[in-house]
Amino acid sequence: MNTVLKTFLSMSVSGSLLILLLLAGKQLWKDRVSRQWQYYIWLVVLLRLLLPFGTEINIMGEAYQSIEQAVTLSLPRAQAPAEPERQEADALPEASPTAPAPVDTMDTAGLLLDRLWLIWPAAALGLLIRKITIYQSFVRYVSAGSTPVSDVEVLDRLAAAAEETGVRRPVELQVNPLVSSPLLTGFFRPCVVLPSLDVSEKDFRYIILHELTHYKRRDMLYKWLVQVTVCLHWFNPAAHLMGREITNACEFSCDEAVLSKTGRGCARDYGNTLLDAMAAVGKYKESIGAVTLSENTKLLKERITAIMNFQKKSNIVRVLTGALTVCMIFGAASIGVYSAAAADSPAPVSLDKSAKTKDGTSSSIIETYIEKYYEAGSLPLFQIAFSRLDAQAQEKWLDRIYADGDFASFSVAVRGLDTNSSLFADFAEKSYTDGEIAFFSILTDCMDETELELWLDQALEDGKWNFQSMLFDKLDRNDEFDELKDRQEKEWEAAQKAEYQAAGVTMDGKDYYYQGQLVNIFLDIRPNKSFYTLNMNPEGTVNIKIVRNADNRITGVAGLTDAEMIELFGDEDGPDDMETIPVSLKTVVAGESVFLGEYTLSYGDTIRYDIRAASGNRMRVYFAKEGRKDVVYWSVNNLQQPGEELRCAADFNLTAKSPAKPGTYQLYLQAPDGALGGVKGNVFIEKNS
Amino acid sequence: MGQQISDAELEIMKVIWAKEDGPALFAYLTDELAARGKPWQKNTLITLLNRLVNKGFLRARKTGRRNEYTALVSENEYQTAQTRRFLDKIYEGSAKGLVSNLIQGDLLPDEEYEELKRLLEKGRE
Repeated sequence: MNTVLKTFLSMSVSGSLLILLLLAGKQLWKDRVSRQWQYYIWLVVLLRLLLPFGTEINIMGEAYQSIEQAVTLSLPRAQAPAEPERQEADALPEASPTAPAPVDTMDTAGLLLDRLWLIWPAAALGLLIRKITIYQSFVRYVSAGSTPVSDVEVLDRLAAAAEETGVRRPVELQVNPLVSSPLLTGFFRPCVVLPSLDVSEKDFRYIILHELTHYKRRDMLYKWLVQVTVCLHWFNPAAHLMGREITNACEFSCDEAVLSKTGRGCARDYGNTLLDAMAAVGKYKESIGAVTLSENTKLLKERITAIMNFQKKSNIVRVLTGALTVCMIFGAASIGVYSAAAADSPAPVSLDKSAKTKDGTSSSIIETYIEKYYEAGSLPLFQIAFSRLDAQAQEKWLDRIYADGDFASFSVAVRGLDTNSSLFADFAEKSYTDGEIAFFSILTDCMDETELELWLDQALEDGKWNFQSMLFDKLDRNDEFDELKDRQEKEWEAAQKAEYQAAGVTMDGKDYYYQGQLVNIFLDIRPNKSFYTLNMNPEGTVNIKIVRNADNRITGVAGLTDAEMIELFGDEDGPDDMETIPVSLKTVVAGESVFLGEYTLSYGDTIRYDIRAASGNRMRVYFAKEGRKDVVYWSVNNLQQPGEELRCAADFNLTAKSPAKPGTYQLYLQAPDGALGGVKGNVFIEKNS
Repeated sequence: MGQQISDAELEIMKVIWAKEDGPALFAYLTDELAARGKPWQKNTLITLLNRLVNKGFLRARKTGRRNEYTALVSENEYQTAQTRRFLDKIYEGSAKGLVSNLIQGDLLPDEEYEELKRLLEKGRE
């Protein structure tokens, strides 16, 4: 929507308010306030409707802003009005993916809408031209049928009345029987046209006085001004109401002016003149262009009443009307106008026009808002609010966001900073030193190439891998970085090798040798746990680990203890294979060995017994190799204790140190001394590979 | 000069025709008319003068601060035109009818009759 049209609409609205106010007020003060005032007070409204000026803070301005806010907030982004949308799109590059398509069609529609506002001035102009042509043809019509009055006596009387009114110019007098009532035409050469000369002297005098008073006060001008205004606000019904009201007020105020000149005593005669004039009705309806004596009967009645009630207003009333005028003017100014200047100010969400100023009260408004937005995580609103803070407040907020680790808020806040804010550098330093690569990365988005390179050099110097990697990426020098990485890795490897060699460890490809022997398990854990090497060669014969001190230097080589082995291998997460062998035997004959199955056992396996016997003296659970039953492994032989249940429960681990070697074994349950009854339980074999 | 002028306008013209030396000033006209028993209002006079100007009988010129008026139509011209009109209107264009009426109507005094006779004879030559 065009700014001019917007301004005009706001003027129309404020004008309408004033019009309604005056129309309503008229009921109150109709007979108490001078008719002159009632006529001229409309000037204030006319000015309001024609001039786009208002006080700094005004209602219309506020109204428009709040409407704009509501509109842009509630509409989905793709449909937001042209100006704010452009700004929003700039501010938040991550626009919704659906936005591009609607915008294309919006362009052509927008262009049309852009031109559509021209309907208003076109119509206004058309109306005005029509009014002018009507007036012109009316004047021509009247002139054609008019006869100049030659009767000098009449002319003399005219001249006398003119002098009374204070009109200096010579006034023409004509008679036109087609005219419905006496009228006045002409700006520079006034001419009174009468329907007939057949009027009494008194009537004639009052007629002339009335018409010439119109002329003297330039009522024609006022009326044309009103017409222009009504044309401009053609769409506003209140404007048309006003036009009619002013026309009436014109006549009333003229009556009043005449009577105040002639004196109250003439009121009756004057009234009679009006009535006589009514009697003569012509053929031509002249609604505009001429200032007529009588418009219609009802109005006439009103006028006569007013004339009869005419009296000069007391001083009190004068003062009051003066005060009322001032009120009206002030009201008109402060209802105000949608200021074009306000329209140009950027952010569609203007928290408050006074928020731009930096005084304490208004910044506290932002504080409350920004707090809300931060808490709610409303990033776009937060960004806008943040950008309105002063540098100090911004720093405080950035500290807070940084401490909270809120990357998202930090990211939008940074975008809301002034381009030459020192906070960029400050926080870049801070995040670099703190190793907060995520924050640093956000800031690098706002850095130019030179700055990035400076930081890269710094990172290379400090050996900060991750920063280097990110900066290389930002600078689009990834190949360089890869090269660098490879080189560094090689350097590192070489350094590593040298270190090992000093400790007696040598490498051959992927194999480690310690003092000439092939290493089975090679372990090297750095103290800061950042790095460790584990290598396995099953054909190796020795298991070693590198011992380092706090400074990460090798102090020696040690063998791996079983515990460490377990830790290494037992530490594996993941589902363990567990074989459960359920045992449920009603009776076991004395001396009998019940075969419970054949199982393959390997290093790292865990064997667990948990078997109870309801009755019996002794119970034995064991493994034995096939063919060698006399050799038992992991045997548990328990005697039933008084007061306790007969039970075999134990854990075994098959390790290198065990006498048993990995292989296939048979599991037996035996009742060595007396029978067993109600044997129940499980044997678990947990496989750890 | 087909335009008719009102009686008042004619009065003004007579004053101007009577003045033989150059154009007539407004003030002069006012005074003269007053002398002739026509003490019109100033504006009335202005209005009438304007009408005469519009009809082409006078030419108005502003010299300094004052207006001066010059007759564009002589008295003779006006009379002739009006006579023709009169004849056409009343006597159907017959001058004879007018003259005979003058004689019969006893509108012609003897001296004027003699003068007319002499004029007629002279005109024929």
